[in-house]
Amino acid sequence: MGVLKDHRRLGVLVLLGGGVLLLLWYLAPWAVPHRLFGGEGVLLNPFGHHLPQGGLPPGYSDGWLRLLFYASLAWLLLALLAPWTKASTRGLYWAGFAGLLLFLLTYLLFQASVAQVNAGAERPLLRRYSLGLGSYATLAFGLYLLLLARVFSPGGLAFLVRRRGLVVPVFSLLLASLLGGVMVAVLKENPGQAASWREAAMLKLDLITYTYQLLYSPLVNPSGFLQSLLLATPLIFTGLSVALGFRGGLFNIGAPGQLILGAIAAMLVGVYLPGPRWLVLPLAILAAALAGGLWGALPGWLKARFGAHEVINTIMLNYIAASLFLFLISANEYKFFGNTLFLPFKYPGYEARSHEIRPEARIPHWTDLVAPGGELSFALPLALLLGLLGYFLVRRSLGHRVLFGLLGMVAGYVLGGLLPGPAVAFGPDLTSVRLNGAFLLALFALLFFHFYVFRTVGGYELRAMGLAPKAAEYGGVLAGRKMVLIMFLAGALAGLAATHYVLGGGIDEYRLKQSLPYSVGFDGIAVALMGQNTPLGVGLAAWLFGILLTGGLQVNLQLGISRELVAVLQALVVLFIAAGGFLPRYFTDPLRAAEVELKEEARKREAEEAKEAR
Amino acid sequence: MNLDTAFLAALLLSTLRQTTPLLFTALGGMFSERSGVVNIALEGIILFGALTAAVVVERFEAALGPGPHPWLPWMGVLSAMAVGGLVALVHAVVSIRYRADQIISATAINLLALGAPSLVLTYFYGNATSSKEVVNRLPLWGLEGFALSPLVYLAFLLVPLSWWVLFKTPFGLRLRAVGEHPEAADTLGVNVYRMRYVGVVLSGILAGLAGAYLAIGFLNQFVRGMSAGLGFIALAAMIFGKWHPLGILFSTLLFGFASALAIQLQGTEILPAVLVQAFPYVVTVLVLAGLIGRSRPPAAVGKPYEK
Repeated sequence: MGVLKDHRRLGVLVLLGGGVLLLLWYLAPWAVPHRLFGGEGVLLNPFGHHLPQGGLPPGYSDGWLRLLFYASLAWLLLALLAPWTKASTRGLYWAGFAGLLLFLLTYLLFQASVAQVNAGAERPLLRRYSLGLGSYATLAFGLYLLLLARVFSPGGLAFLVRRRGLVVPVFSLLLASLLGGVMVAVLKENPGQAASWREAAMLKLDLITYTYQLLYSPLVNPSGFLQSLLLATPLIFTGLSVALGFRGGLFNIGAPGQLILGAIAAMLVGVYLPGPRWLVLPLAILAAALAGGLWGALPGWLKARFGAHEVINTIMLNYIAASLFLFLISANEYKFFGNTLFLPFKYPGYEARSHEIRPEARIPHWTDLVAPGGELSFALPLALLLGLLGYFLVRRSLGHRVLFGLLGMVAGYVLGGLLPGPAVAFGPDLTSVRLNGAFLLALFALLFFHFYVFRTVGGYELRAMGLAPKAAEYGGVLAGRKMVLIMFLAGALAGLAATHYVLGGGIDEYRLKQSLPYSVGFDGIAVALMGQNTPLGVGLAAWLFGILLTGGLQVNLQLGISRELVAVLQALVVLFIAAGGFLPRYFTDPLRAAEVELKEEARKREAEEAKEAR
Repeated sequence: MNLDTAFLAALLLSTLRQTTPLLFTALGGMFSERSGVVNIALEGIILFGALTAAVVVERFEAALGPGPHPWLPWMGVLSAMAVGGLVALVHAVVSIRYRADQIISATAINLLALGAPSLVLTYFYGNATSSKEVVNRLPLWGLEGFALSPLVYLAFLLVPLSWWVLFKTPFGLRLRAVGEHPEAADTLGVNVYRMRYVGVVLSGILAGLAGAYLAIGFLNQFVRGMSAGLGFIALAAMIFGKWHPLGILFSTLLFGFASALAIQLQGTEILPAVLVQAFPYVVTVLVLAGLIGRSRPPAAVGKPYEK
């Protein structure tokens, strides 16, 4: 790592990045002031535009681009020189910040140029406008310079290695996105005619950029945002399910089957158990958890008792669960050796689906939670506030604090429900999103995971089983029983994912249907790995995939690329994370990481002492 | 129940057909695990092989016209084997060179096999679920009324062949040594990494063969998710067969029989089809629970080797 200190090496890294930047400046569009529906855009580049219908849109002026180009060139020149000066890292910091400012300037100039045209018109002339890859490259290079400056300062490598839980997944995501970009380039033809190879490259790069813009578009539009939370809900549950298994040293590929069993149980209680809401809804949710848990405990027991590997068993149980599920809802009568068996579960009609869940057992839609009866409710914000107060103000044992937190939550919910609120109305694009209370359940599941795994004795034993099963057993953990328990909890979490679909009507109806997307259980593997088996990570990773899946719909709609692109990205992320992001081994091996950190600390101290001595 | 000869003959043929892909895959899994690498990616590799065979044959037909081309299905088979080997190579590189968790790396490939075919199918055929049907399937060899695809014969021929390779050749000895005690093998000059690469790639080639059989031998197109757990069942059969070619022959025949029975019972009034379909999976769980004897895996299986 002594080499890392080498200024020459820093200079070469900056030079390499600068080369890529120059190439992208030359080949990629800097801005796209207008885009047609099929994806072809008006592509602006200082070396020559790509203009679909003869010329620039009427009234649009591209004068700002030339000015910006010279400013950018000057900036790049300074950045390339910075590593060769005496205070190299400080110079790079300045260059990096200047890059961010430059990007901001680009953004403002571009917005102004578009606003100039759109301001007068009744219906905006320029639509689907955005900056292009050339400008984003400026931003990326600025961030790259800042990162290099930090890493090449004293103790910089330790800074990265300490954050390896973030570095490995993010780096893997970048790699997967790069490969995904190549796939888009291969699979999709250019949307417009190109006169030169440079123009063709510009169209291709713009196509890739636009694909990713669409994939991440739910971040900037309200209904897409809600939709991404909707899709994240089941992913949180299944991600936690897989993560819990990983923490305990077990690989749960059985989340799809556990989800199916949860769905069946939720349906049975929700359709057939009469009673008041306060009783039936919790029972239906518990039934889902219990059924999923038992289905998960089965391979756990098989492993503990017979040593049968849980991976193949959980997969087999997925198929068995799917058969059982179809058996229950695809017909009303079956023949067994000539005898007829009648089942009441299927709703009449062509489609394989159950009867409707009774209104008492339904999980409320998000509008009924946020604004019941059209009035904004203070119940949820107040519950959150009092819950946090209860947890953080009570200075006693953890159990007490959690208890007071929960009590505060209930009190806040009741109190907030009594307060009158202002009237609000949501547009149809927002109310049509079927986000429901299951999302809150998912947040509670995240909290449960955190407290159970990291704050209790049981969770400590679980982690010990995952890190060193023999040592855990020697330390007094009943390994077999623990294994069954871990798989039960993992199954219960996966089973709860079904509440979103069946009780919350997460897709279109409050029923158990053949279209139940139980393969989200497999997506849970990607979520758990991306989230590094931590609750915060799982929550964020689930949301990320929720965004991508929502955006995938737009990609399919506007570009005709299969939505499965997102599934491929997920699989690649899993593969790359498994390989440690192809990063050096001190990013994946805790012992080597500690070694690096110690060495870097020593070096930092040395540098400081040398400074003082001077 | 009408247990007449026609039913039994159909059952026998069906058993042989159902056993074939299982046998290819289980023998492949055996080579991989004997070298010390778990390969649950075989399920996905079957899909990649099937996709390749179907698309290659269909593309050639589109270019040359449908007319009978006897060599064309073999072309499909070879390309499926090549792609199977390549995909397995990815698993090998990630799990041998980068010491990844072998189960996770393989799961990534299985996830990839769920998504990637749709991209390819959308590109060529504009739909995400199946490829266009091909005319040039693999031929049928045999007597009138008892004809089977050549790959069926090949699968059963591979059993004695793999036995000979594994137990009677220096290569087989080295492969087994690397899976049992890599340090010892390394000390004696065996290149552990190379043996493992060979084992894993071999398993991919065989799973690709199984995929080709499904796509252009058993059916005449690729259908999304057409492997339906075959790869996992084959691994269970491999465990049940105690990582030995002869054991694998009998265990895959058992699973093949279970599937064949399920197919033959469909449409009858004996058992509902949806339940019968789960039969092989239930058998797998029971077998893995060790209801019929314990089996011991190669000692070093699943552990990355470090010099």
